Amino acid sequence: MHEFVAQLVNGISLGGIYALVAIGYTMVYGIVELINFAHGDVYTLGSFFALAVFGALGVSGELHGAALAFDAGLALLVAAVCCGLIGMLLERVAYRRLRNAPRLAPLITAIGFSFILENAMQAWKGSAPLPFPAVFPNPTLHAGLVDVNAQQAFVVALAIVAMFALQLFVARTRTGRAMRAVAQDRQAASLMGINVDRTIAVTFLIAGLLAGTAGFVSGVYYQSTWFLNGFSAGLKAFTAAVLGGIGNLAGAMLGGFLIGIIESFATWKIGGQWSNVTVFAILILALIFRPSGLLGEAVPEKV
Amino acid sequence: MRRLAASVAALAFCLGFAACSSSAGPSGNTIKIGIDLPLSGADASVGRSTLNGMLLAIDQASKRGLPGGFKLEAVQLDDAVQGVHSPQQGVANVRTFVSDPNVLAVLGPYNSNVAAAEIPITNAAGLAQISPSTVSDGLTIGPDAAKLRRANPTKNAFFRVCTTDARQGAAAADFALKLGLKSAYIIDDNETYGLDLADVFEQDYQKLGGTVLGHDHIAKDTQDFKSLLTKIAAKKPDVIFYGGTTSTGAGLIRQQMFDVGLGGVAFMGGDGIPDIATVAGARANGTFYTVAAPNAEKLPSARTFVKDYAAAYHEPVGPYSANAYAAAQVAIAAIARSIVENDNKLPDRARVLAAVAKTDGLSTPIGKIGFDANGDVREPVLSLYAIKDGKSIFVDQINIKGR
Repeated sequence: MHEFVAQLVNGISLGGIYALVAIGYTMVYGIVELINFAHGDVYTLGSFFALAVFGALGVSGELHGAALAFDAGLALLVAAVCCGLIGMLLERVAYRRLRNAPRLAPLITAIGFSFILENAMQAWKGSAPLPFPAVFPNPTLHAGLVDVNAQQAFVVALAIVAMFALQLFVARTRTGRAMRAVAQDRQAASLMGINVDRTIAVTFLIAGLLAGTAGFVSGVYYQSTWFLNGFSAGLKAFTAAVLGGIGNLAGAMLGGFLIGIIESFATWKIGGQWSNVTVFAILILALIFRPSGLLGEAVPEKV
Repeated sequence: MRRLAASVAALAFCLGFAACSSSAGPSGNTIKIGIDLPLSGADASVGRSTLNGMLLAIDQASKRGLPGGFKLEAVQLDDAVQGVHSPQQGVANVRTFVSDPNVLAVLGPYNSNVAAAEIPITNAAGLAQISPSTVSDGLTIGPDAAKLRRANPTKNAFFRVCTTDARQGAAAADFALKLGLKSAYIIDDNETYGLDLADVFEQDYQKLGGTVLGHDHIAKDTQDFKSLLTKIAAKKPDVIFYGGTTSTGAGLIRQQMFDVGLGGVAFMGGDGIPDIATVAGARANGTFYTVAAPNAEKLPSARTFVKDYAAAYHEPVGPYSANAYAAAQVAIAAIARSIVENDNKLPDRARVLAAVAKTDGLSTPIGKIGFDANGDVREPVLSLYAIKDGKSIFVDQINIKGR
């Protein structure tokens, strides 16, 4: 039982990172029907920016108190903001011109940008895995059956806070309403006076912010990063978005946590080499019975 | 469209023609030695120091001069793609060497799975290939090796100056029990090298009286090992043995061991993890690894090499620098002998290959080298290192001839 709980906690913290990245996939898909394959690399960039900030501040070990709040906060902020801006830049440079092109064109552009970002990171920091300073003290917290270390709690808390903030933003603000409108019908939204370009740019900004946050979190959690991390993590996060129902925010979160937990249990019960197989087998099964994902609604194809 | 097809056909014809015309014998007075190693990415730190060992030997030989006044030239190619050693890239590199008639020997590769892809090509071409570090058994021994040599079954073209996984796994099992580590949990990365190493360790460790608590394989590109390690923590092993390299998971596993309360447990592996501190940082402390070579700094015949290496590169020797130097020595000595046998004329690949196979008692920084019929060295010596404060400390070495 104890081990079951421990594995559940492992899975939830892994899933928290997937969920943050999955939201970016799902938001962008929801609004422009583009699978932004470069998103996984934006996530990796987040950990690189955070690493650069820690490098500039001369942080190499555990921090406490005000130093922790300031340095880690700054790294998080820089990672999130820079990734947000890069997301926007990608949209402006690569996708906006292709918005009315056949769907394959932006898809291939996204794959191309994924390679460009990967190679830029390789040129920046080299192709070896990079150690990430263990900035957070990591005591184990005991609560009944549950042993959680502080980092895991931090990952999950940050993921949940980010998701609630996002839900509120989309549901309550004017920009959020504009986003929903553009997602439903771009032309009608523009006829109602909504600035479509700006709304789409904001969507990419938010997706990037969350990816940057996830990148920072993964660096802190694994104390390591490397330029190709985004490939497999991005694939899993995309899977999470599809499992939850692509285009649906709550679905992406649910999918992220589910995939993290499945992966963790598969490693535990079946063996590490089968974890990916199990994740994708479950995805296929889920899609056979619910083609639009767990929380997705069946929508007729837009023509 | 038809014009496109025609021009593609013409292009293919030209390429084919170029390939044919280049398969003529060597000419001119330059002899090339091809070098295939991972020179970028996670394996680069060991790849570079291995390359340096080879270049040092080639440099020194060039300065001494070859018989017949021939010039020696090293041609180096990187087999890492996106930072990880790639069998496909290795094959492409070796094809490049084969198509250059002046390449008379190939040094490398560093990794066993790359070697497994390359051996059929050098074997078919009759081009001598000498690896400093590929330790998988199946490359030279048994039915697996026979399959790799299918093109030319009687003419083995692959040699290595290191010992095999079987010997490395056996040595690691021996060392582990000597250190008082009586129960082990084994993880491997499911690659040629890692799987072999882990299997042999498991067998020998049990044979010598150790308890194996479990054996798991991991998926490629895994980043999160916490579930696996949580499972292992419940079994309380004395040591976790990892078959694989730093880039395939050793670094992250060592690091995450601390997150699930396994930080105090020893971590052990083969010669794929000497650079583990580049990923695990301070947490690499408590790692042990074997190297399929004697300690270069302890061997009298190695002192000159260590001195020359330091003078040339201003850094300490890497784990396989001495082996690399020895591999290059084997190739150079064989080339020199074949030139003499050929009346100071440019020898062909077959002659060089025969000379490499006849290598016997060649004095190198890793002892006297001679090959058996499989292309393996006759006197295997292995050493154990521990990582302390980011540095490798020599612990012990054994000769396990006949095990």
